[in-house]
Amino acid sequence: MSQVQAAPPEVDTLVPVDAIGRVEGRSPWQLFWMRFKRDHVALGAGVVVGILVFFALVAPLLVTLFVHRGPNALDQNLTSDIGIPILGPSKTAWFGVDGIGRDVFVRTMYGARTSLLVSFIGTGLSLVIGIALGLLAGFRGGKVDTFISRTIDIVLSLPLLLMAIGLSVACGASIDGCAGGLIKSGVPLVIFIIALFGWPYVARIVRGQTLSLREREFVEAARATGFGTWYIMLREIFPNMLASIIVVATLLIPQNILFEAALSYLSVGIPPDTPSWGGMINDATEGSLYFVAWWMLVFPAGFLVITTLSFNLLGDGLRDALDPRAGR
Amino acid sequence: MGFVKRRTIVALASVVVLALVAAACGGSSTSGASSSSGGAPIKGGTIREELQEFGWTSGFDPTGEYLGTAWSLYDQMIMRGLMTYNHRGGDEGGNIPVPDIATGPPTVSADELTYEFELKTGVMFGPPVYREVTSADILYSFARINTASLSALYGNYYCGTITGMTCDKDKVDTNIEGIETPDATHITFHLDQPTGDFLYRLAMPATKAIPEEVAKCFTKAGDYGPYLISSSAYMFMGSEDLDITSCDTMEPISGYDVQKGMTLVRNPNYDPATDSTEIREANIDGLQQAINTNYDDIFQRLLDGQIDVAAGTPPKGVLLKFETDPQYANWLHADPGDRTWYITMNLFAAPFDDVHVRRAVNLAFNKEGVRKAYGGEKRGDIATSVEPPTVLPQSVDINPYPANTGEGNNDAAMEEMKQSRYDLNKDGICNDGGACDNILFLGRNIDPWPEMDQVAMASLGTILPGLTLREVDTTTGYTTLQQMKKLVPISSVPGWGKDYASPFGFDYYIFHSDGIYSCTGSSNYSLVGLGKDLADSCGIGAEYDAYVQNNGDVPSIDAKMAECVAKPADEVNPCFAELDTYLMETAVPWVPWVWANNWTSVNPTVSTYVFDQFGNTISYINSAVNNGLAPENVA
Repeated sequence: MSQVQAAPPEVDTLVPVDAIGRVEGRSPWQLFWMRFKRDHVALGAGVVVGILVFFALVAPLLVTLFVHRGPNALDQNLTSDIGIPILGPSKTAWFGVDGIGRDVFVRTMYGARTSLLVSFIGTGLSLVIGIALGLLAGFRGGKVDTFISRTIDIVLSLPLLLMAIGLSVACGASIDGCAGGLIKSGVPLVIFIIALFGWPYVARIVRGQTLSLREREFVEAARATGFGTWYIMLREIFPNMLASIIVVATLLIPQNILFEAALSYLSVGIPPDTPSWGGMINDATEGSLYFVAWWMLVFPAGFLVITTLSFNLLGDGLRDALDPRAGR
Repeated sequence: MGFVKRRTIVALASVVVLALVAAACGGSSTSGASSSSGGAPIKGGTIREELQEFGWTSGFDPTGEYLGTAWSLYDQMIMRGLMTYNHRGGDEGGNIPVPDIATGPPTVSADELTYEFELKTGVMFGPPVYREVTSADILYSFARINTASLSALYGNYYCGTITGMTCDKDKVDTNIEGIETPDATHITFHLDQPTGDFLYRLAMPATKAIPEEVAKCFTKAGDYGPYLISSSAYMFMGSEDLDITSCDTMEPISGYDVQKGMTLVRNPNYDPATDSTEIREANIDGLQQAINTNYDDIFQRLLDGQIDVAAGTPPKGVLLKFETDPQYANWLHADPGDRTWYITMNLFAAPFDDVHVRRAVNLAFNKEGVRKAYGGEKRGDIATSVEPPTVLPQSVDINPYPANTGEGNNDAAMEEMKQSRYDLNKDGICNDGGACDNILFLGRNIDPWPEMDQVAMASLGTILPGLTLREVDTTTGYTTLQQMKKLVPISSVPGWGKDYASPFGFDYYIFHSDGIYSCTGSSNYSLVGLGKDLADSCGIGAEYDAYVQNNGDVPSIDAKMAECVAKPADEVNPCFAELDTYLMETAVPWVPWVWANNWTSVNPTVSTYVFDQFGNTISYINSAVNNGLAPENVA
């Protein structure tokens, strides 16, 4: 029988040891970064997201410098007599043109602006509302908790898509929007819908975390020291749930991108003169146009998928790095 | 938007990609069928058609039904009245009323106030009524029109014209002062004023013979539709099983289900000797119209030979085949649709309350581009005036904006705009901030409107940079336009087709002040001829006063229309041509951009294709198929 040699003890490479054996201290964010940069998939996804954000930000500049056509510039000479695009991907139009001769590359770039703008702001609003109400419910408890929790239940029980379509129809037939002009039609309306239906998910998670954290010793210590409710919520509890919130945000963003695309695909979201990936996919399906102009479908759909995939992979990596004890 | 596990999202994303790629790469197989051909009509077979929905406005009840496809079925296939059409194209007289169960043209009094008809004998109702059609059955249909609860949508063609008809009776009452039925084969109409197109009105479906013994059971709008009794060549399959011994025993006829479709079979009581093959060849043994909500599938089934007819715009991929592949050369038929597509402008919404702005829009509008986005030349001729030439032949000579040759003329438009009070610095651009910023352009969000709207916006952007496009579904679009207080400034939502092929039947509800029924039900979207009282009561009194202050009297066609209607027949059209010119030059409520064609796609199984100009559909009654199918065997 061969001898079995015991494996050497694992060394946690995240715990640096200097030359004379002293353990060097690391902040939580340093630890996060050391873990995160080892996740190459997440890192790659982060780079893709960064590139997308960059392109979204500089789209007007890119178009001005290289393409010289705006997202709504028409050239019907590039379509057939029956309105079918005759120019596919080429030097003239990198991603081809659509049914009225608009440049698909330009619209895809501008579509990234729309998708990211709507999802970032919508998610941001969801987070602000959700964090505030979740903290309040979890920390104060009692009737406040009951009221907020039941409100969350009610909002979550609403048929999201139907409500969104209804709101879009109700508010979309005028410039002023609805609710006395409070909700403007177009991009603001889609952001409003996302925020309106997104905050309960955040609030529920934040409430649960708060319920757990408020019983911890450091909160007791803060109370004993005489700090007030708001201080404890904002300075003691909130920072300790930041990791979870970041993960939630990375999950909400791709969902909101898809939701915006779905609304635009149904023609109840972003107005048609504002390029959006969902709207472009809708254009491609008009009369099954993608059968003869595949580029109208493949590019916006491809970017939509790459974007949501990247955000999800990034979120995976962030969660693993921020909370390594949590299983997948 | 609920939290889904990331892997699920990733998986869904992958599925989406695969589905999209599969959809993009998946071609559609086509049959090797050759294009349809003409020749001697073949007898027998069943025309199989699929449509996404019937879309009836009043449950297929002829008294209230306002949908053209329903009119086509009534007039060609199921019902007979005093007058009808020959169910052929416009160039073959398809828009001219001809006697049906009347033995001939009426005897008209010298003052044109009395019309006397004699009825044919031997015209029978189909099962289960089994009796001859009489003048009382015609009178009964007018009594239904005269009953408020049955909502005869075009009742105004009779009420206010036939003496004693008011359309507000609370029950069906055959005692109408202006209609006499001295015996079973004679009927006389007395009119309040001469009405040059009265015979057109007598060809409308609501006036067809209706048997009282069945219809009396249905006193609410739309209820009679599923029990419709035939008086013509075809009937609902299963009509013979309808138990009419009492109102309680009647069940909807099995051959019609609004959710699934309808099957028409030959009416055994129909005697061709009482009819004319010029009007009804009745070649087919049956017609099946099935509901298929998948529009792409409808056309795929047409290509595969599983159906014979599909109406509407083919998917672009299919259209490309029809347009470029010789194999499909004769599949797509484009026939004059007696319809005008237009941009409507509200006379009381700034900046369109200035006629110079409305004229400038007419000059700038890219009609060619919008038509191309709509499907190209085959969709119709560029419109230069309101009435399509198939309704008013003189229309082709009316063109008050020759500078716009179709593609829009910004220079001419800017010159016109300079005359507007909304062009403050006279640079040809609407720039009076309060009126010219954020102007709502209301469009439809269904294909192909989004592309058409973009072309429209682009063409108007120079003179009206403040236009803001918002798109909604068709129903919301119409209901928004109908609400007077909304004052929608400009819109591409509506289109308008004739009720009947007299200019009066085209213009009445869309431009006459009677077309402004209420504060929420107007079909006169531009509000031509709006009165002060109604404006006040609907909450736009201030806008009305502003209009009058800035422009003088509100344009109205009411008096001119009354003058035209009372003209002798040969003077009616020239009079309406003057009215059309007034609309285009002085009132300017529209930018008409295409006199639209009606598109019908047919498989070569349709051996003879004939178009019905009145109904704007394929003429089921005069076309023929070679599929040899019996209607009861069609799945």
